[in-house]
Amino acid sequence: MLSKTAKEQLIAITGKDRFSDAVEILTCYSYDSFLEEAMPEAVLFPVSTKEVSEILQVASAHKIPVTARGAGTSVCGAPIAVNQGIVLCFTKMDKIIEINTPDRYAIVQPGVINGELQRALAPEGFFFPPDPGSMNFSTIGGNVALNAGGPRCLKYGVTVDYVLSMEVVLASGEVIRFGSRNIKDVTGYKLSALFCGSEGTLGIITELTLRVVPCPETAQTLMVTFDELDNTAKSVSDIIGSGILPVAIELVDKVGMNALENALHQDLPTEAAGTLLIEVDGIKESCEREIEKITDILKKNHAVSIIKATEEADRNRLWAARRAAYGVFAKIAPDILSEDVTVPVSKVPEMVRSINSTIGKYKLKGGVLAHAGDGNMHPFICADRNDKEEWAKVEAAFKEIFTDAAALHGTLSGEHGIGLAKTQFLPLVMDEASRKFLTTIKRAVDPDNILNPGKLV
Amino acid sequence: MSQQSSNCGKCGICLSVCPVFAALKEEENSPRARVQLIKAFREGKLTSSALLKELMAKCLMCGSCTAACPSGIDHFEQFMETRADLIEKEGDLLEIRGLVFLLAKEYRLGLAAGMAKAGQAVLPEFLQKKIKVANISVDRFPNLNTKPFRSTVPEIIEPEGKVQGTVVYFTGCATNYIFAENGQATVKLLSALGYRVVIPKNQKCCSIPMLFHGGIQQAKDNLMTNVECLSGHNAEAVIVDCPTCGSALKKEFPQVIRKYGEDATKADKIAAKVTDIMQFINNRRDKLEELIQQGGKAKNDIITYHTPCHLRNSFISAEPMLRKLEAINFKPASDANSCCGGGGTFFYEYPAIATKMAETKAENAKRTGANIWLTDCPMCQMNLEGRLKPEDGIKMMHPVLYLSSLL
Repeated sequence: MLSKTAKEQLIAITGKDRFSDAVEILTCYSYDSFLEEAMPEAVLFPVSTKEVSEILQVASAHKIPVTARGAGTSVCGAPIAVNQGIVLCFTKMDKIIEINTPDRYAIVQPGVINGELQRALAPEGFFFPPDPGSMNFSTIGGNVALNAGGPRCLKYGVTVDYVLSMEVVLASGEVIRFGSRNIKDVTGYKLSALFCGSEGTLGIITELTLRVVPCPETAQTLMVTFDELDNTAKSVSDIIGSGILPVAIELVDKVGMNALENALHQDLPTEAAGTLLIEVDGIKESCEREIEKITDILKKNHAVSIIKATEEADRNRLWAARRAAYGVFAKIAPDILSEDVTVPVSKVPEMVRSINSTIGKYKLKGGVLAHAGDGNMHPFICADRNDKEEWAKVEAAFKEIFTDAAALHGTLSGEHGIGLAKTQFLPLVMDEASRKFLTTIKRAVDPDNILNPGKLV
Repeated sequence: MSQQSSNCGKCGICLSVCPVFAALKEEENSPRARVQLIKAFREGKLTSSALLKELMAKCLMCGSCTAACPSGIDHFEQFMETRADLIEKEGDLLEIRGLVFLLAKEYRLGLAAGMAKAGQAVLPEFLQKKIKVANISVDRFPNLNTKPFRSTVPEIIEPEGKVQGTVVYFTGCATNYIFAENGQATVKLLSALGYRVVIPKNQKCCSIPMLFHGGIQQAKDNLMTNVECLSGHNAEAVIVDCPTCGSALKKEFPQVIRKYGEDATKADKIAAKVTDIMQFINNRRDKLEELIQQGGKAKNDIITYHTPCHLRNSFISAEPMLRKLEAINFKPASDANSCCGGGGTFFYEYPAIATKMAETKAENAKRTGANIWLTDCPMCQMNLEGRLKPEDGIKMMHPVLYLSSLL
């Protein structure tokens, strides 16, 4: 329980309307899209940097843990207040402050929804490339805190590549700013790269200047089916190996495709062992050349069918189906665990094989989706957490998958983050000295460990 | 008790379609939170409280979350049951209880409509402006019908010329008591298209407002009577002009009747035949264009449109049809598909939120330059009309009313 003094001081900052410690309300901030849940002691909705700074001053005086939260759609438990304390919810700090397309930047508050920014940019002919599956409901602040990725990051890069400047409130309540509106900026440490993906453990982001880019002239999408998953995966490494850079190459296996079709009824190819969704963009003529080259590679890999979707509506339908992928698995079993191990693209066929044999070995319901073009795998397993025996198998299977990925020079997380899901596996990819360095940084900026304690370090 | 909520993947897709969440930006006012709260309540982690009841009630029951949910959660069923439990323990607003009481018995509704009509007639104009129902001043409320629509028409209406087929028409309370002109327009259009219209005299309120407010058992009489009188007639469709009544016939009737432990065969048959009037006309659009041309009454109006949530989620929006109709000058609003905040009795219980949502819609409708604003749902119409001023020069009506004026 918060002390009476702390509670009074916090209410003095936000007013009663934007503070709650009612158990019904706290229940709604005890979860995200991951499995673990924990009740905070209070939730606050700041609307300005000044308020965030004042809240942090109170929190550090009383040593109250502070966990920042956007829309609560993290899939690694990053915004779960495992050590209780305050949840700082940013959904009401949601203004787009400036869009400047001649200078190619946008300034936003952290609570802006990724999709809202896209809608604001579209009439100007611009877009913000990071496109996590949750883009229509997750916040930019959350995207930055987790360094989110998405399908088109294959061509365009991930969130960190688009953060020009940040305003951050430190644990002490002090407000700092770094970076500028310039793409080229080597004035000081590249701190945006440090804070991006820090999962709220180093500071609280209160404003972001983001790089935006012009929309391509056109885009074309192929839906390709195979009767062997091996050929599906090999096509991916062959396309990337050939020097073409598509926007996205998404891989869906049979289990995944059937789950999507059962939920969405979109006439999807449920018979195929593997399906690829490939998109290229750019100038019309170059798109056509690339599609030709890609088609040759697909045929060499024995593609069963290649369907071209040029109509905007068809493309949107296919991508909407792909974006629903997380939710549809809830139909298979009560709980879903989907991870995001990432391997060099030439290792994609090997990794897909190893994921499948692991899931098969433990006789679990699951499969693999992937942003395959950049080696970002999404092995998923649907099971019931209340079934202790089954869940032990799920955990053992993921441990093997992480170990296999590490052995292929892969990494634990491509885009979801570490959060509560993967801290224990860090030693697989980072030695002790490197892990200790993370702790050194954390201690230097948050000596009392009040910022999202229990995560990452 | 259904335990579907444990299969919510908590993915958050519903946050992107929920109109209440969009207005308030608080997780507790989102479908995902309600599903999690219901789970906590069923598991005994939360007990009944006024706050929990309020969180369950702050929902438009528009069904957008269910339509978007990849996990296949039936939000309506869960919310309805939980609201019934909580209202039993925590009570409900006096006015809302009154509404449930009125709707449970059709004659009481008729009586109340008569009283309200009298009240409306005797209130001096300046007072009408001052008195508000929820967020809407009384002078912006539509006048009630002098006589209930169904009492003014025969039970079977033969078309002019060759008979194409027979349809049954479920009029709903709004047409019966408030918008008689929509009923007349629907009959006129159906007759012109060559259909025999059957309007069963003993049809009752669809009971959706009751089900929302925990009156599941009180609704039984209405549901069973409706199923009986709408069945048969050799009808190829059961026509509705109110999308909410339509979605009740299509989705809730079979489900709730099964819950009563009664035979739902007839309800299933009706559910399969329920057709929104605009969808029915759209399937015969060529004939309509021909009739409008013959009539020669096409006008210079600029038309815009608002898609009711229940139409979008249970049927299809009338917008594509309005776009295609050559006889009208259609200018779509940028937010034609977003919710107006008027769902059910929401605008009565949470006027501030509903006002905010409707004001944005009214602004965007004005921007189209339209002088006629069409929408299919009586609640949407009343809610949106409440945000219009006489100087805006925009008239609201049901699309059938406008189309029939062209014949």
